[in-house]
Formats: sequence, C-alpha cells, structure tokens
Amino acid sequence: MNIQIPCPNCGARPIQEFIYGEIPVVPETLTDADARDLDRAFMRNNVEGVSAERWFHTYGCRRWLTLQRDTRNDQIYAE
Amino acid sequence: MNEFVERKIELQWHEPKRSYDVVIVGGGGHGLATAYYLATRHGITNVAVLERKYIGSGNSGRNTTIIRSNYGIPEAVRFYQRSVELYQNFESETDRWVMHKRKGLLWVAHTEAGVRAERARAEVNTAFGARTEFVTPQQIKEICPQIDLTGGGVWPVLGASYHLDGASARHDRVVWALAEGAMRRGVHVHQRTAVTGLLKDGDRVVGVETERGPIAASLVVSAVGGHVTALAAMAGVRLPIRTHPLQAFVTNHYALAFDQMVASSSLLFYASQTARGEMLIGAEIDRQPSYSYQSGHHFLQSCGFRAMTLLPFLRDLRILRQWTGVCDMSPDYSPIMGESGAPGFYLTTGWGTWGFKAIPAGGEQMAELIATGKTPALIAPFSLNRFAQDRTMADRGSAGTH
Amino acid sequence: MPALEPMIATRIVATPAALDAVAWPAVAVVLRVAPDEVIVLADVGQDLILPYDLHAIVVAETGLASVWLATAEALDFLERACEWELPRQRPAFAQGAVAGLPLKLWFETGRVLFIVPAPFAADLEERLA
Repeated sequence: MNIQIPCPNCGARPIQEFIYGEIPVVPETLTDADARDLDRAFMRNNVEGVSAERWFHTYGCRRWLTLQRDTRNDQIYAE
Repeated sequence: MNEFVERKIELQWHEPKRSYDVVIVGGGGHGLATAYYLATRHGITNVAVLERKYIGSGNSGRNTTIIRSNYGIPEAVRFYQRSVELYQNFESETDRWVMHKRKGLLWVAHTEAGVRAERARAEVNTAFGARTEFVTPQQIKEICPQIDLTGGGVWPVLGASYHLDGASARHDRVVWALAEGAMRRGVHVHQRTAVTGLLKDGDRVVGVETERGPIAASLVVSAVGGHVTALAAMAGVRLPIRTHPLQAFVTNHYALAFDQMVASSSLLFYASQTARGEMLIGAEIDRQPSYSYQSGHHFLQSCGFRAMTLLPFLRDLRILRQWTGVCDMSPDYSPIMGESGAPGFYLTTGWGTWGFKAIPAGGEQMAELIATGKTPALIAPFSLNRFAQDRTMADRGSAGTH
Repeated sequence: MPALEPMIATRIVATPAALDAVAWPAVAVVLRVAPDEVIVLADVGQDLILPYDLHAIVVAETGLASVWLATAEALDFLERACEWELPRQRPAFAQGAVAGLPLKLWFETGRVLFIVPAPFAADLEERLA
C-alpha cells in the first residue's frame, strides 16, 4: 500500500515526499511548571487512533500542512 | 528425528485464577522471560502472563533475531553483555534448542566520522566486557568476502568494528522455551486474554481487568509492546514512547555461506543469513509513528538498493516476503525498566529496535527487582525517572539500525 | 542524452495577494511553487513586486538546473518514473518526487521543462539516459 498525502499546494503525493512533524500536547491536568516542561520535552501521547499532525512537503512546495491520520491503519483525513 | 522438525511444545492450560502474586501483561519474550526467571531464580511461581493474541505474536516474532552487546555507552554495554552471556547458556539452561549461533557482527564505516565512531565503539566495548575490535578494509574482506569495499563507488568502506560475540537465535523458539520453562514450574500463561483496564485502589495498581474477568495481583508488570502508552496511562503514568513501524524482508536461498552479520549506519540496513540460507535484511524505523503492520514497496525499493550498494551479490536474489513490526522508541534510544512511579506497577518497555537481544537479561533483572523490591544495579540507569533527573542514556548510534 | 543547463531565474517570496496582482513579463515562465512564492524563469528586478508588497523578498535563484524535453520523450520517462498524477491542461506546473528526485515540471504544448536543484543535475541526467 502506498499512503498518499493531499498537499493543498501540489496535490496528492506519496508519503515519502514529506517529513513528519509532531504536535506535542501537554495534558491540562499537569499544572506544575517543571512537570509541564518535562512532559513537553520527553513525554508523548503516542495516540492509537486519529491524531492531528504536521507534515512538511520537502519534495514539493516546502510548506507545512496539518492533517488527521489514523495511526491504526494510516488512513489520512485532510483537515 | 530431523532436527528441523519442530519439537512439539508442551504448554499446560489453566483457567485464570482470581488472583496472583504477579501479573505480567504481554506474552512476548520480555514478559515470559520475567516469568521464567521469577520461577527459576526466585521460586516465585504464583504468576500469570496475559497475552492478548498468542505468545510471541508481537515483536518477539517479528524482529531480526540479532544478539549483540556492542553498544556505545558503558551502562548499555554491561547490560547487553549480560544478555549475550545468558543467551550463550540459554540452550543448556532451558534444555531447548533455539538455534543459537555465534556469528560475529561487522559494523561498517563509510566516513571519517564513522571510523571514529567504530573505533570508539571498540574501545568502550573492550573496557566494559564486550569483545569488539576495529578492523581494516583488508581484514573486512577476509571476514566477509562478499562486501564491495568500494561501496558501489559511492560508499567506500573505510573500516569496521567487529563484534565477535554477535549472534542470532530463532526468535519464536526462544519465546516457546521461556514459556515452557515457566509453565513447567507452575506459572500460568493465558493466551487470548486481552487486558482491558487496571484495577486501582487509590494510586495503587491492584490487578487487571481482562476479557475473561478481573484478576487481582500484588504487582502488575507491563511487558507490553506497541500499546504500552495506553496501559501506562491507566496507571496514571506518562511515557516518553513513540511507536514506529519497522520493516524487514528475506530473500530466497543464497547458495554460499554468509557467516557473519553486516550492518552499516550510513546505509541504514543490516544483513544476515538465516539457518535456511535466506538473506535477512532490515532497516531503520519509519519516520512517522504508527501502529500499522502494513508493509510497503517503497521500503523494499530503497532498502534493497542500499543493501546492494555494499553487498552486490544480493542483485541475483529475489525477495520472498516482507513484514512489519512496531517499535516503542524512547527519546534516548535506550530501554525503560523498573518502577513506574505508580505503586504496584512495574514497566519493561522502550524496547524499540533492540528488544530481542535483551530478552534474557531484561527478564532476569526485572525478576530480581520483583523478587527483592530493589532495583538491580545493572538496570538502575534505565529507570523511567532518568528523564526527569536529566540523565538520559543517549545511544542512538548503537541502536538506530538494529 | 539530454544535458542539464544552469538556469537563470528569480525567486520571489511575497504575500499571495501581491503575487496574484503582479503583471509578469509576457515572455517569462512563472512557477507558483507555493501560495506565497514564485520562481520566475527570467532575471526580474524587485520593481515588479514592490508596489504590491513592500516586504517582498527577491533573490536571484542560481541553484537550479533544467532541460527541455519533447512531450513524447518527457511523458515516456514520467510514466515510468512518476508515481503521482500529471496535469492534463497546458500550460501547467507540477512539482514532486520523480525517480526519487525533487523535480519541478513546466508543461507547454509540445515540450516539458524539467527543473532540479543543481546538485541533483547529474542524477537526473543519469535517470533520463
């Protein structure tokens, strides 16, 4: 299977043209400033399901885009 | 009997009890090894291993079966060397043939920086008990005549570290030997028993909720691969884990002997020959996190191309099959073992792309922690709180490809 | 075997509205590589864009190499080496990975311009051969 990412500037392209970028989400329940720093630096939600993420189209327009991807099956939903 | 005919493994079947002293979640190598060493070293047998599919169905059955200890930092060399030694005695200890074979591992450098890294690796390994030496291109050619020292004219081979204790073993036989050894001593292994939640008493974890009902436990150990973030979250523990796919493939039978294993950090692949004569080739992880086991043609194209750069004979072989596993990557490319911060809940995770080689030592050390309540010195550096304490065990250069 | 030549071009980064408004020289090919960026295949000064966007960035783009191929020849190569759908209308611009290289393509009636970053010029020549 080849995963395609819909680039708003260039059209649908294979995932290999893009670089993955994460959107770190620190849980709101963490209130201590040090704990939030630690969480932001190291901890990950590692979502098993649909997650919002950033991709950089390095082979094309060289711009970032945001999309939703289901990490269970790599189905992509454009935002 | 033909030695290649599978020996029938004898697993006893049990109904889950209402409670155990120790419940281990995850029936892969690490979970079963923990149970095995609890039973054999500490006489703790009121133990259940819960596996959501069948034993070894996760990464224990998907890895590329390399055993080595040529890591880049002292703590890791000591730990993996313990594992290498336990593997060397594994067959006599378990009385099961797991096709363990010492092969030697060539880690090839193509740049001046790479040469420095491999020289440093040889020094650190020697200083902390692993047998690794730096070898010149001429010596490489003697060890592995198939290598193209010009690297296809693009990646010239400038040297390599040669890890003499590099070995391999049949991965599912390791899993079965551990399961059998543990069960023979009274451990329960429950397959097709998915854990759906944790039983809590305040902050303390006091058992697990399963498809087959709740099971109480004095201690719950997560030896889960791939889904550990969700399990730990139920205990209120945040993990620095991202789960990435890693793909590998095997070719058809290669008629000559390829005795050693070959790896290249620049070309991001490693190759070895299976007992059947197939060439087994793996690569680095996919860049995006995912739990998908989907394999792709792109990987074959790029990894095959890179492998042929160094090993031109691969050109004449055909790819028979490929598969994917998912790797729990930690930020510093080192495992996470020990206390989780939540009472009653221990972790052995972050096994990324280096889990198989660590099965015996990981199991042995986790068993000691469970039995004594004290973190053994060998795994103390790998505790989860190292991230909060700013003492990460950064060793990407040793783990990136394997 | 087609040989790639260094290109004379100008890269302009400005607001999308400004790039939409500019009257480009009729002879120049204008590649809209992103909403806020164009590569003009000519040596154009900043006077063209500054009236529309005072903060526009205009630099001579010297890092590209290119070659024109006849449509039949180009499509023959692209059918083998390109995994994504090519534009049907003419003229048209497309960009993405072709044969593992970051390519920009300008389709005209009868011919196609292949553009790569200059360090990849030799690789593209090798793949086209």
